Formats: sequence, structure tokens, C-alpha cells
Amino acid sequence: MAEVLGSFEQAVLLAIVRLREGAYGRAILNEVQERMERDVAAGAVHATLVRLERKSLITSSLGPGTPVRGGRARRFYRLELAGLRALNEARAAVDNLWRGLEWPLKGHA
Amino acid sequence: MTIDATPPGWAEVLLRAFLTPSDSDSVSGDLLEQYREIVRPARGHRRADLWYVTQVLGFVWRSARLWAALFAVAFLARTALDWLVPPADFHARANVSTFLGAGIVLLAAFQAAARSGSFAAGPVIGLATAAIAAPLELAGAITLLAAWHDPLTMNAIRTSGGLAEVLTLPLLMLLPGLILGTIGGILGAAVNRLRSA
Repeated sequence: MAEVLGSFEQAVLLAIVRLREGAYGRAILNEVQERMERDVAAGAVHATLVRLERKSLITSSLGPGTPVRGGRARRFYRLELAGLRALNEARAAVDNLWRGLEWPLKGHA
Repeated sequence: MTIDATPPGWAEVLLRAFLTPSDSDSVSGDLLEQYREIVRPARGHRRADLWYVTQVLGFVWRSARLWAALFAVAFLARTALDWLVPPADFHARANVSTFLGAGIVLLAAFQAAARSGSFAAGPVIGLATAAIAAPLELAGAITLLAAWHDPLTMNAIRTSGGLAEVLTLPLLMLLPGLILGTIGGILGAAVNRLRSA
């Protein structure tokens, strides 16, 4: 069984999938903010990336900096097979929960 | 885009104090890039600086919150014991809780400074640990008081130092937190240097 992911972990991993070769810290932050439609702390994304890398769901490597970031290196992230499996299982779990129900729910609430 | 705009220097020093050397450039670069390309043009100088400082404090908060929770639990456990199971002599218990509290702050500061190699992480995390723990301790003490305020417990509270002590001690812990954090920070930074030498 793959690693069980929290919703924020899924958001970060999906941002890496979407950004492909451009998946570095700041781009991931902006992608997560855009998808979640709210401000997200850079520290929260950084802590999640560190945790996901420790679980071997992603790997990272340093790339060149740019003038706007004062020449400081960018850390690029890549999804690993274990991360891909974990994302697929997370999606399957949600699909299972919703199977047989129509969305959006209409009811008595 | 404002390529020459710079966030507050002290905040950047603080940020680097909470990052490992391998993350220091990439994370501070990410924040600088976001500051220059998005936040500063959209929000102006002051609000962009405020955004940057808030982001940095988020890193401090993440480093200190678990230690602060541990510190608050230790304080409340001692308070509850004193109120509900009062001993004949408070000295032994006071020694244990003092050393435990000091140990938690020292360890928090040591760990943060050993990770980043910056001694500055020590006093900041020492202060942050005590500051985050203070409202938790006050809320916990008030909850305990709301649950147990029979004459026997009120007498135990009086003999253990009184209610005023319990309600002011969390705030008085800020200065010791800073001092112990400084000591832990110096030790942690020294260990980091020894390891990388």
C-alpha cells in the first residue's frame, strides 16, 4: 500500500505534476495558492516538500538562480514512482467514497 | 517587477537562521523572487515588507510550536499536580519542573541552531517557545480553575504560591526563555561547526 497523503500534501504533489520541469519552490507555492484559492504560507509549502522528500515521494536538485532572486539557486522537485502511486491511491480513495452519488449533492441539509 | 527592491534585512537574517544550509539559498531566493515579482508591485513597500516578515515568522512558528506545546504541557502538569495532589514539600517538584522547562527551551534552541548553524536561531526560538506557550498555559490554568475550585483545591492553590503566581509566571518566562535560548543557540551553532569542520 502506498503512503497515505493529506490534502495539502496532495496539493503540493499535484503542483509538481502540473509544473513538470518548472517545479521549484516559488512556482509550487503559486500553483498551490491558485488551485486552493487562498493565501498559503511559504513555510507550509517548504515543510511539506521536506516531509515528502524524506518519505521518498519526491526528489530535488539545485538549478541556477536568476537576477530577480539575487542569483540564488532554485531547488527543483521531481515526482518519484512512490509519489505517483500515492497520488493515484489518494484519487482512487476519493472516487470510492463518491461512487453512486451525484455531485453536487442535493438534499436535506 | 521591482528587481532592486529588498525586504527588511533583519528578517532575511532571521529566515536564514531557521533554514538548513542546503535550503538557505533556495528558500530565501524563492521568497525574494515572490517579493520582487508579485507582492511588492501589487501591495507597495510597507505591505510587501509586512508580507515578508509574516512569511519569516511562519518559519519561526513552525520551528517553535511543538516545543511550546511541550513546555505548556509541562507547566500545566506541574500546576495540576500542585493543586490536586499537593505535596508536603514543594522543593523536589519545583526542581524537577524547573529543570524540565529549562531543558525543553535549551533543547529547542540547540536543535534549531545545530540544524542551521546560526546561533541567532537559539534566542529567537527560546523567546518564541515561551511566548507561544504563555497563552496556552494561561488558558489551561483558567480551565483547571473553572473545573476545580472547591475549598480544598483553593487552599492547595494558596499554599503552592497562589493564583497570582500561576497567572504571571507564563509572562515572566519570556526573559529566561531568551537567555536559555541564547545558551542553547551558542551550543547548537558550535556543534554544527564541529560537525562541518
